[in-house]
Amino acid sequence: MTARDRILSAIRAALPQERPAPDAISAEANALLADPDTSRPRLVAEGLLDAFILKAEAIGTTIDRVGGMEAVPDAVRRYLSGHGLSLSLAVEPAPALTALDWTGLDTGTTLAPDQPAALGKALWGIAESGSMIVHSGADTPILLSFLPLHHIVVLQESDILSHLEDYAAQLAERPHPRNAILITGPSGTTDIEGSYVRGAHGPGFLRVILVASTD
Amino acid sequence: MSAPEASVQVSFKNRAKTALADRTLKIAIDRTTGTAEAKRAVAVAAFPEFQAARARGRAIKDHVIAHLDHYLEQFERNATASGATVHWASDDAEARAIITRICLDAKAKLVTRSKSMLGEEIGLPHALADAGIERVETDLAEHIIQLAGEAPSHIVWPAMHRTREQVAELFKIAHHPPPSADDPATMVQSARRELRAKFLGADIGISGSNFLVADTGATCTVTNEGNAELTTTPPRIHIVTAGIEKIVPTTAHALSLLRLLVRSATGGELTQYTTFHCGPKRPGDADGPEEMHIVLVDNGRTRMLDNEFREMLRCIRCGACMNHCVVYRQIGGHAYGGTYPGPMGSVLTPVLNGLAGSRDLPNACTMNGRCAEVCPVEIPIPTLLRAWRIRSWREKLEPGSLRVGIGIWAVLARRPGLYGLASRVGVRALRLFGKGGWIARLPLAGGWTAHRDLPRPAGRTFMEQYRAQQAHKGSRP
Repeated sequence: MTARDRILSAIRAALPQERPAPDAISAEANALLADPDTSRPRLVAEGLLDAFILKAEAIGTTIDRVGGMEAVPDAVRRYLSGHGLSLSLAVEPAPALTALDWTGLDTGTTLAPDQPAALGKALWGIAESGSMIVHSGADTPILLSFLPLHHIVVLQESDILSHLEDYAAQLAERPHPRNAILITGPSGTTDIEGSYVRGAHGPGFLRVILVASTD
Repeated sequence: MSAPEASVQVSFKNRAKTALADRTLKIAIDRTTGTAEAKRAVAVAAFPEFQAARARGRAIKDHVIAHLDHYLEQFERNATASGATVHWASDDAEARAIITRICLDAKAKLVTRSKSMLGEEIGLPHALADAGIERVETDLAEHIIQLAGEAPSHIVWPAMHRTREQVAELFKIAHHPPPSADDPATMVQSARRELRAKFLGADIGISGSNFLVADTGATCTVTNEGNAELTTTPPRIHIVTAGIEKIVPTTAHALSLLRLLVRSATGGELTQYTTFHCGPKRPGDADGPEEMHIVLVDNGRTRMLDNEFREMLRCIRCGACMNHCVVYRQIGGHAYGGTYPGPMGSVLTPVLNGLAGSRDLPNACTMNGRCAEVCPVEIPIPTLLRAWRIRSWREKLEPGSLRVGIGIWAVLARRPGLYGLASRVGVRALRLFGKGGWIARLPLAGGWTAHRDLPRPAGRTFMEQYRAQQAHKGSRP
């Protein structure tokens, strides 16, 4: 008897013999998520954008807003200069980012050990929590979100969702990526005497460049 | 756990005594649990729907436990389809053997590990050491206790028993270059520098899992530091260890429970990094491990399905019960002697290590009910601890003197006349030991009087006084 058989038969011996069909179990599971508003936080502002900004800033994310994708390189330059950093960064190899005009900035797709910043793109934002979502893929190396001290993320205002459940619904509609990551503020730790310190292993600074909707 | 059965029993009282005498420990415990309690209260107050969310969280966990076999098989199918290899382990030894074999087959020299209490439960750190594999703990607290050669003293803050000064001492010896100051920010930077090369040079990354998502086959890690993703992305192999009770039906169910977990654990709303790991690197992916192994561990969990401890399978390991426990806050986590300390640990340790060796743990509880009040999935922890006390009595595990004492009390308690007589004699006799209103020393009661005085009783029993008062009332016109 394998461990798998031992475990499953121990479970079956302990549970009632009469068991619902898989469809009935699934229906029961879905019913547990009905009326989500009764048990989830309300948004802190009327609109998704305002709520997202309030929550993101409350957890230490800083925000810049631009009118279109073409303004992203300038916003990056502003951020790096503002922090006294060299104008050098790793840019995620996504066409939407690499196609921009990076004149005057030293960009590459890999992060050198001494390079302080990387730029990536979030698929969605979540107004409930100020989170951003990154999926791994051919043009989305996961390490670019974790290795730099300064993580800069481009997010379209129109991609801000209301609650965590809305993201779960989006995820369920497509093939699951290797990594689906919710990023909620810069890396931090409270492991020494409960006192909060930023930049534990991941980025100590999280910057969002919000791109206005063009429609 | 591989701890010998008797160790918890033999020395719980001694460990608790030592902990009580350690003033530095008390300072360290107060700093972290005090902050945790205050922050949780703020987070819950800011979420008026918390009670409804708790009821939903409880219902989700109960649903999963009632269909555990169905969900485990569904998870296995989907994880396998994503390219992961699913392993099953009945107990700690099987789990250790599976993981060690994967490491040895891969000729791994360096393994990074992202904090997992299950890994501690199955004795993974020792197993890797025995196999000659270098293990680097990447969670900051786990890094601290690895340097100190200690076990975790809390399930969320494993190094909470150490003050910043004590951490600085460890880092000065282990870090090259040593941190320049002993404030937390400088020490965190030092650990960041020290561990960076380890992350990138590891052959295998091992993580735990907060949720196993049945309908996608994904495993979920939550961290604030970002160490889980740095542990699981660069190495060639990612190994996940998870208890079978971690399963949830869908991502939406996991996220619903996450709201409860984070608020209850740290008082935050969401962890900084919540990651669903679904299989190894895909063709074309920019990074990620080439192999992913998921080890599903039973280790006593199926035994809890049909006994009085079933509700404990709802536990999502937030640590709120220990942060709010008057006993934990006096003695800290190491005194408990098991992998899991505090109230939830006092329920689980007898399951894992046997009741004979750990019967003192369910007794180290005042039954004040704080743990159940703050539990995000409404586990009636005091009721479960009482269930262990009942079992301990039925299995005759108490020392003879205690059984005789309780036996005498039981004889009296069932005979009101005799009980009244004994009370009348007792209160008068007790007064003989009292000086100035307090009893400082009493034969057979040193366990009480060694630490606190007993008020000298009134000269008459409650019933005597009550009757006298009733008679007095009745005599009035």
